[in-house]
Amino acid sequence: MSLQLEGLQITFKGRRLFAPVTLAIPNGEIATVMGPSGCGKSTLLAAIAGNLEHGFSVSGRIVLNGRELNGTRMEERRVGILFQDDLLFPHFDVYGNLAFGVSGKLDKKERRQRILEALERTGLADFAHRDVATLSGGQKARVSLLRTMLAEPEAVLLDEPFSKLDKPLRASFRDFVREQVAQLTIPALLVTHDEEDSCGGIICRLGGEEDR
Amino acid sequence: MNSSGRRGVVSRLRVFPLLTLTAFCIPILLGLAGTWLPAFGFLPVIGADQLSLAPFRELFSHPAYPGAMRGTLISGLGATILALACSLWITVTVYGSTLWRLLIRALSPLLAMPHAAFAIGFGFLVAPSGWLVRLVSPELTGYTIPPNWLTVKDPYGVSLTIALALKETPFLLLMCLSGLNQLDMRRTDWIGRSLGYSRVRIWTRLVLPQLYSQLRLPVLAVLAYSMSVVDVAMILGPSLPPTLSVLVDRWFNDPDVHHRLLGAAGATWLLVMTAEAIVLFIGCEWLIRHLTVGRLTDGSRTTPLDRLRWLGSVSAVGLLAISLGCLLILVIWSCTGRWPFPAPLPTDYSLRFWEKGLGLAIGPLAITFLVAALATCIGAVLVVGCLEYEVRLKQQGRRPDSQWVLWLVYLPLLVPQIAFLFGIQTAAVLLQVEGTLASMVGIHLVFVLPYIFLTLSNVYRNFDPRYIRVAVAVSGAPVRSFFQVKLPMLAKPIAFAMATGFAVSVAQYLPTMYLGAGRFMTITTETVSLAGGSDRRIVAVYALCQFLLPALVYGVAIFLPAWFFRNRKAMQN
Repeated sequence: MSLQLEGLQITFKGRRLFAPVTLAIPNGEIATVMGPSGCGKSTLLAAIAGNLEHGFSVSGRIVLNGRELNGTRMEERRVGILFQDDLLFPHFDVYGNLAFGVSGKLDKKERRQRILEALERTGLADFAHRDVATLSGGQKARVSLLRTMLAEPEAVLLDEPFSKLDKPLRASFRDFVREQVAQLTIPALLVTHDEEDSCGGIICRLGGEEDR
Repeated sequence: MNSSGRRGVVSRLRVFPLLTLTAFCIPILLGLAGTWLPAFGFLPVIGADQLSLAPFRELFSHPAYPGAMRGTLISGLGATILALACSLWITVTVYGSTLWRLLIRALSPLLAMPHAAFAIGFGFLVAPSGWLVRLVSPELTGYTIPPNWLTVKDPYGVSLTIALALKETPFLLLMCLSGLNQLDMRRTDWIGRSLGYSRVRIWTRLVLPQLYSQLRLPVLAVLAYSMSVVDVAMILGPSLPPTLSVLVDRWFNDPDVHHRLLGAAGATWLLVMTAEAIVLFIGCEWLIRHLTVGRLTDGSRTTPLDRLRWLGSVSAVGLLAISLGCLLILVIWSCTGRWPFPAPLPTDYSLRFWEKGLGLAIGPLAITFLVAALATCIGAVLVVGCLEYEVRLKQQGRRPDSQWVLWLVYLPLLVPQIAFLFGIQTAAVLLQVEGTLASMVGIHLVFVLPYIFLTLSNVYRNFDPRYIRVAVAVSGAPVRSFFQVKLPMLAKPIAFAMATGFAVSVAQYLPTMYLGAGRFMTITTETVSLAGGSDRRIVAVYALCQFLLPALVYGVAIFLPAWFFRNRKAMQN
């Protein structure tokens, strides 16, 4: 099972943003969508997540593990997102941010165990009750990804998650992302304008229609 | 780094915060002291020179006291809770929709509408002989004469509460909007929903905890205002007995000078009650925060409240409809020749009340304009000076405590006007400045300043300092750079802030009454005194004049910068 995009295209006021995209991302792999800034990469992610802004319309099919996502509500899609900014909630500590991701259907003990385990596994065990504002850039990025993953999404979208990190941090965070995706065995879609960010899976180039 | 030169500019700019502080701290402190002394029986001008608790004893045993207290508490707490609930629920459920964009567009005219004009229009709508009853009579109700209801001036102050809540909701919505602009709403919503949270849950768990700190002071200002408002309470509030603030106002103006002591005691007691209400609100906030903090991260994705989302749209539409209705009914009444009871619309239209009313209103309008314009211009200079000082301080790496500044700016909005105006009046009489233009402008400035500051501060602080650095590097003239680069670039928000200050000044009732010495009749004091029992047609003309003056100024403030920069696309937003 996987994430499939079949002839996906987005129009804004009658204008097509890019040529139709067809992609199949197997579980545990990270596909990369490349393109210059402004070509509609983030809009593509919004379409998959179900969060297109007013005025955009989408055609083609989005299928996740056999479920067609077109037309379903965003909160039912189970598609996680990671942005270049960590967007950690400043009114919670690290533990609170992670707890926000974990399903509420589990009992309290189970939830706690999952959070501590995730922190342990990623070398953040001592940070559970730290104010998120005091973390370093790399730590924030990791907590942010953990929060997304703890919600057990069926796919994850990565919106230039490395672009704000320094060079050495980038490489280690990229490995971290790859590990997490492999561990959950879910498909991931990365968009970036930088060749170096690619995580080794399929690469798809998005061209601006009008420029060609 | 030319730090000594910079420091010189900064220390010269320090004069602005000092002047501003003087402009509002001195009147308030003087006024409070001048009210507290007579409250304890000390007012030598009328021969009272013994400190005692007698005025308070007299206040508590006064037959009107319990009823007045009841009216004050119901309308003050009720209106605040209602306005807060309404504005929050509208924001939670309507944010981002077409209805929300419509609401945002309507905010400026809603805010420009003075409280008195709104109250008069509201009364014309819901009174037993009001438009709503007329629209459905006699077909649905069978009434051919106005029913014997108490829909305005009801003894519990319900109509007053509702009108105040409706009038304050747009203000709180504006405060929500400016708070939300500082949060990354689109991506917060995206993250929340991708984690499976419902819309209401995202708001209660992610947005409100961050937003409320920006909303706290505005809510407390609404609370203090609602507990102590006089003009609206005179128009819509209970009359036998009225709310405490109206009662105190009557005592202060009683021909029997002995009542001054009673009034001072009442005013001071109102201040105490307001302070208690503020403490109560902060306490409730603390309690809610502590009771819910654990639940915020319990992972539950949906809430039964999701089913009440329609209530937000209904409130938003209702708010717009009632406000529009208030305005419409004023227009209709002002052009009415004859309108017998249950006809749904006038049977005969006439402009003669406009001719008559405008002739009479032109004098008060001119005075209102003069005072408001002076207070607004002085206020704008002081506020820009203060903000510039703050910005420069920050550039030097010093961090002014903005939370403390904010409480100070809010001070005139958190202290009931009636609790210190009598004291200022006494002081003004002693200093022989009562009834002068200077004292009028001065007292209006106290209330205009905070609003200009609040409307302008966020935009001003966020101005990219690199523009000025580039300008100074090119021209070598810091002062000229400020006037030729920064001020024009900020022309739009400054004009808008000034329009807000102007509207606040126009709407002032008590300050004009207490310091005008009868020599300054503004459109507001005239409208409020007419509202008591004059012909509805002439009252409508006055109320519309009171609304049109600030509305025109808002119009100019929005239009002028837009016209001036019509060929500059980046200046349009």
